Amino acid sequence: MSHLLDRLNFLKSNSLGRFSDGHGHTTNESRDWEDAYRNRWRHDKIVRSTHGVNCTGSCSWKIYVKSGIVTWETQQTDYPRTRTDLPNHEPRGCQRGASYSWYLYSANRVKTPLIRSSMLKAYRGLRKDNSPIEAWTKLQADPILRASFVKTRGMGGFVRASWDESTEIIAAANAYTAKTYGPDRVFGFSPIPAMSMVSYAAGSRYLSLLGGTCMSFYDWYCDLPPASPMTWGEQTDVPESADWYNSGFLMIWGSNVPQTRTPDAHFYTEARYRGTKSAVVSPDYSEACKFGDIWLAPKQGTDAALAMAMGHVILREYHLDRQAEYFEEYARKYTDMPMLVRLDEKDGRLVPGRMLRADDFKGKLKEKNNPEWKTIGFDRTSGDPVVPNGSVGFRWGEKGKWNLQEKAGKDDASLRLSLIMEENHDDVVGVDFPYFGGEASENFTKCEHPDVLTRNIPVRKLELEDGDAYVATVFDLFCANYSLDRGLDGDWTAKSFDDDVPFTPAWAEKITGVPRDQIITVAREFATNAEKTNGKSMIIIGAAMNHWYHMDMNYRGVINMLVMCGCVGQSGGGWSHYVGQEKLRPQTGWAPLAFALDWARPPRHMNSTSAWYAHTDQWRYETLQSKEIVSPTAPDGDWQDASLIDYNIRAERMGWLPSAPSLRTNPLELAKAAKAAGEEIPAYVAGQLTSGKLEMSCEDPDAPENWPRNLFVWRSNLLGSSGKGHEYFLKHLLGTDHGVMGKDLGEEGRQKPIEATWHDEAPEGKLDLLVTIDFRMSTTAVYSDIVLPTASWYEKDDLNTSDMHPFIHPLQAAVDPAYESKSDWEIFKAIAKKFSEVVPGYLGDETDIVNLPILHDTPAEIAQDHVKDWKKGECELIPGKTAPAFATVQRDYPNLYKRFTALGPLMEKVGNGGKGISWNTEVEVQHLKDLNGVVTEEGPTKGLAKIDTGIDAAEVILMLAPETNGEVAVKAWEALSQNTGIDHTHLAKPKEDEKIRFRDVAAQPRKIISSPTWSGIESEHVCYNAGYTNVHELIPWRTLSGRQQLYQDHLWMRAFGEGFCTWRPPVDLKTITADVNGEGEPHVVLNFITPHQKWGIHSTYSDNLLMLTLNRGGPCIWISENDAKTAGIVDNDWVEAFNTNGALTARAVVSQRVKDGMTLMYHAQEKIVNTPGSEKTGKRGGIHNSVTRVVVKPTHMIGAYAQQSYGFNYYGTVGSNRDEFVVIRKMKNVDWLDRPAKEEA
Amino acid sequence: MIRTYKALSALLTYPSVDLLAASSEIAEVFAEEAILPEQTQRALRPLLQDLSTGDLYGLQERYVLLFDRSRTLSLNLFEHVHGESRERGPAMVDLLETYRAGGYDLAATELPDHLPVLLEFLSTRSDAEARELLADAGHILAALAERLARRESVYAPVLAALAELGGVAKTSEAVQELLTVADDDPEDLEALDAVWQEAEVTFGPDPNAGCPVTRDMLARMDPVPPKPQAADAAGGMI
Repeated sequence: MSHLLDRLNFLKSNSLGRFSDGHGHTTNESRDWEDAYRNRWRHDKIVRSTHGVNCTGSCSWKIYVKSGIVTWETQQTDYPRTRTDLPNHEPRGCQRGASYSWYLYSANRVKTPLIRSSMLKAYRGLRKDNSPIEAWTKLQADPILRASFVKTRGMGGFVRASWDESTEIIAAANAYTAKTYGPDRVFGFSPIPAMSMVSYAAGSRYLSLLGGTCMSFYDWYCDLPPASPMTWGEQTDVPESADWYNSGFLMIWGSNVPQTRTPDAHFYTEARYRGTKSAVVSPDYSEACKFGDIWLAPKQGTDAALAMAMGHVILREYHLDRQAEYFEEYARKYTDMPMLVRLDEKDGRLVPGRMLRADDFKGKLKEKNNPEWKTIGFDRTSGDPVVPNGSVGFRWGEKGKWNLQEKAGKDDASLRLSLIMEENHDDVVGVDFPYFGGEASENFTKCEHPDVLTRNIPVRKLELEDGDAYVATVFDLFCANYSLDRGLDGDWTAKSFDDDVPFTPAWAEKITGVPRDQIITVAREFATNAEKTNGKSMIIIGAAMNHWYHMDMNYRGVINMLVMCGCVGQSGGGWSHYVGQEKLRPQTGWAPLAFALDWARPPRHMNSTSAWYAHTDQWRYETLQSKEIVSPTAPDGDWQDASLIDYNIRAERMGWLPSAPSLRTNPLELAKAAKAAGEEIPAYVAGQLTSGKLEMSCEDPDAPENWPRNLFVWRSNLLGSSGKGHEYFLKHLLGTDHGVMGKDLGEEGRQKPIEATWHDEAPEGKLDLLVTIDFRMSTTAVYSDIVLPTASWYEKDDLNTSDMHPFIHPLQAAVDPAYESKSDWEIFKAIAKKFSEVVPGYLGDETDIVNLPILHDTPAEIAQDHVKDWKKGECELIPGKTAPAFATVQRDYPNLYKRFTALGPLMEKVGNGGKGISWNTEVEVQHLKDLNGVVTEEGPTKGLAKIDTGIDAAEVILMLAPETNGEVAVKAWEALSQNTGIDHTHLAKPKEDEKIRFRDVAAQPRKIISSPTWSGIESEHVCYNAGYTNVHELIPWRTLSGRQQLYQDHLWMRAFGEGFCTWRPPVDLKTITADVNGEGEPHVVLNFITPHQKWGIHSTYSDNLLMLTLNRGGPCIWISENDAKTAGIVDNDWVEAFNTNGALTARAVVSQRVKDGMTLMYHAQEKIVNTPGSEKTGKRGGIHNSVTRVVVKPTHMIGAYAQQSYGFNYYGTVGSNRDEFVVIRKMKNVDWLDRPAKEEA
Repeated sequence: MIRTYKALSALLTYPSVDLLAASSEIAEVFAEEAILPEQTQRALRPLLQDLSTGDLYGLQERYVLLFDRSRTLSLNLFEHVHGESRERGPAMVDLLETYRAGGYDLAATELPDHLPVLLEFLSTRSDAEARELLADAGHILAALAERLARRESVYAPVLAALAELGGVAKTSEAVQELLTVADDDPEDLEALDAVWQEAEVTFGPDPNAGCPVTRDMLARMDPVPPKPQAADAAGGMI
């Protein structure tokens, strides 16, 4: 019987039934409940944005918006693909970024402009019958009214104010300050422009049009490694994280990649799958340690000793006992190792002196242009001294010979690395090298070697202009400095790694605690890999190494290892310093916008460390004396008598470092006086300074004329996460309650500075007005007079780039700024507008005098081949040569707003450029006029390209920068090709037609175009890696020799014993004194270390309850089990850490992870979160910066000397903070001080 | 329009010249509409008194300190239930939809969960509907009232009045839960320790027992059972 008619052919029943052998059954119940999930994830739009200033990861995110409210975010996955064999970039993003939308609507958000009521009340009272400027003037003139808000800073009392009123007060204060003291008394601080570059530019453009001072951040944060400019003439040019994958041997040194570089960490794990070997160097068991095939745990602060020992092994086994061919060639062509050094006689002994120059020879070896800046080597074939191409002397004043071809002029010249062969030297002489290992404080291993070590060196005797002299190659001196025996007899060299001679593995074992076998093994593997792969050994470094006073030794130690093995400039190799990744890739497009170079040049830049050291009076408490750090081999000079601030003052007046304020007299008044005297401004200023009628401000930082008066802080928590010497800021700059416990030099009766004027009574409350622009109530906001609410990272249009990847991508306004907030661009625009409203009749068209230091990458950088101080009468004051230049700048104050919102005429007239090259920009300016539109209203800006919105500003950057405009890139390479005599345009030609616009990056992150601003290239064949074009295109490094400079021959470098890298123990800051110590109670004294945390980015997120819940919550410090036992502390106890700088309160985390003798406090926890009062100071417990004080280093002040010349965020003093020790003890009473401020007062 | 809700909304806004001038009118509205019981109206007098006679700057400073700067007193209601979590955005969207369904869009720069915004919306509803909506937020309002009362703030009666309108018992479980969670008495070291304490990690003897830290965290996310003693103490204080 057929079933055909009983069977369904086309349908099947959906009635209840069972399937899968009865395991499943179907039902007809409503599925409406599923809509709950559908609706939960439903959204109106997705907008691309990222997380602005604080995080430098620069990950692109999808921001989901529903009904005008940000609901959540997820990682973008559309980065352009990498090439085959290389993992892709995504996903990028971490737990902090994924929780940002929660932060957006936090109750901690600043909703409206806030002003301290005591100030507002006083201002409004005066404002009734006065203009804004008059009201502010009267407020400042009344000491009681001024004190009413100055002394209550940080004690609450905020009321809301309108935008109109807030901007009016700010504008009036700025105008008053410019007219009364000078525009350079208006300071602005904002960090890391690369992350939200338009927001940075907003403030700096306003300040630059005003003549205010833009303060650097990189040096102040101590993320700036001075070793980088010293060696390469470049600051922090590093490989992108994808290049880790290409490495064969990865050292992670004082960096915590999985914790602090979370979005990049996948390349590290992927590299390990590829077979890359990894060594991790970290004193504590950090998260990175578990990635290592080997973990080296040196005592904190002894990294240089470890690096020196590894260098010793590498030199011995790969350069001396056997010369690795690749290493030899690299050393000869790309380093200063074959260059010659003169040996100077001092007290009958020889010390390494200056590098030999063409100028030293009779007839100057036929060099007419800059012979004093051309270094010398011996030709391998002829044995004669030659002037190899590429030194800085070739960079300026002539074209075509600034390159790394093996040539001297047009002739081939291959240089001789060593004079060790019998036939190549005339003599073997003893040369003195300083040794500092005996100066270690009780907390570090002191070793019994003399402070001067004499080693034998092969030398040639040359007949020079000023008589006969011994010369040696850098390589021979370098090997001797590493104590390597080369069969020349004499003392202080080692034949075996086990010898007890400085820099052997056996010696380093004593200092660092790392077993010698481990040192030898890692050094060998590092070098072997580099030899086999042509340099694919890499060292990733974090802030940990750079925050020590002698950070240069740590850095130069590892840089030496990399250079010895030919790793720099090779993909998969090199120096990867990832700290405060500030790579603003379209830098030369951004600079005109940011510093208003389209209207006036030069802008006022200041190095923050020196400024804060002076203006927060931290110098008045200086405990480190020069005699403790000067070299026993120092050339003649008053090195020991000058204090640290004296060195800084000398540096400022010789034009090495910038000054802010610069002159005691208001520069607007000075310009008028010059005009009245009928003199040119530079000559007039020079005359006044020489005669002593005019004084530089730096010589008397405590005189009221020299105080900074107004301070803008935006995109930053200057007083919180980055206020080194926090309590000194509170005491002297702000004039409010503070926890400083130490006494100043006057009170202690110690030696006072020579150059700086001493006032017995230090000023308190230098600032007239502190304005903070932030989206949350940070520690800085709490201390401010005016707090302006800014748009957060999903509420504004901006641009973002990073060191870590080669893409440029945007921040975008997914929603309007919450509450009353506005973007930084709109805020500064509003201030500019108000300024232009209040200023007419008070200030008009004014002439300003800008004090300009001698800048790196300009022809002036070869100003001073010898150190001469005009004030001491050693030379004449020649502006721009022996002193700063005094540039004339025209300010148009009533039209400041109009200038702010239009692209000024200088771009067409003068053009654009950067890093020593320049090009014409007429075409780009026209394109901007077409794109942004032109100003139509009458006035000085009519017909110019508009810069009205944040997007307009972004387009200016993108259009002018070679990295985002292929046409400009080709022009820039053409300009460089003229200098080098080599055609480099092939690097950008294929992208000549590419123009990246804001809407392009909104659609997808774009890879930037190769440009001569940077030393790496973007290509389909290699990852971005620093030094690549130096090695592969033969473009010189921007140093004295044009090569990687391992010998630093400046007078001050030699005076402080750092001509060559060596081991210098941490300095003794003596902050635990007879008055301030833990005696009488159980306590422990520990080295205070502040690494980056996992649950916040600096202080951002550290006030987020979820993040606090994921860690201990509130401030905590880590100590070892042994130290805890000594001090009677158990886990989770409240403890107090203090020294003369101040005190902080925190909970103890007792852990085996931490080494004995050190304590970790994660940077940066907020004072506003769970911080009880300190028993020691009776005030609210401080933050991690409360126990620190900045100590500046003279060698960082050097200027006017090729690579050691000033550049903004390039070189300068740095705010080191890791040499500090604190007393830690258990707290008896925890007092939350939750009484109203008035009760206490 | 129920002006009592509007008046309560006004009382919780930032003190301005306008608000100060309207303080007597506000008292009249309460009396006329008599939605609030006599006793509640009396309790609101100190605040109205302050507003009519106080120094504007003092009033503003107090407001900023209480409502702009103290997280636990935020007038953004979802801060207290969702905090900085993923739930907050969607919750605000839902509220916004409620306003839209009622015929209103948000015009000011405040977020939808700002209490004065909600109150203004309620003034356009029927009293019954308004009370119902208030009841939804009742436990937050009662908790805020309690926290303000502990600070002896004159604003406490405003929140108490709202909680009352929403018909929420001060001792209800939900209120106590909120108070327990946030109630870290800063004077009490033991209590502080409890809040920040991490559980000790013990390895073994039962390898399958799961990670104690996770277990502990999950336990903390469970609703906290009301503590009878605490309820008594709180009840006595209000």
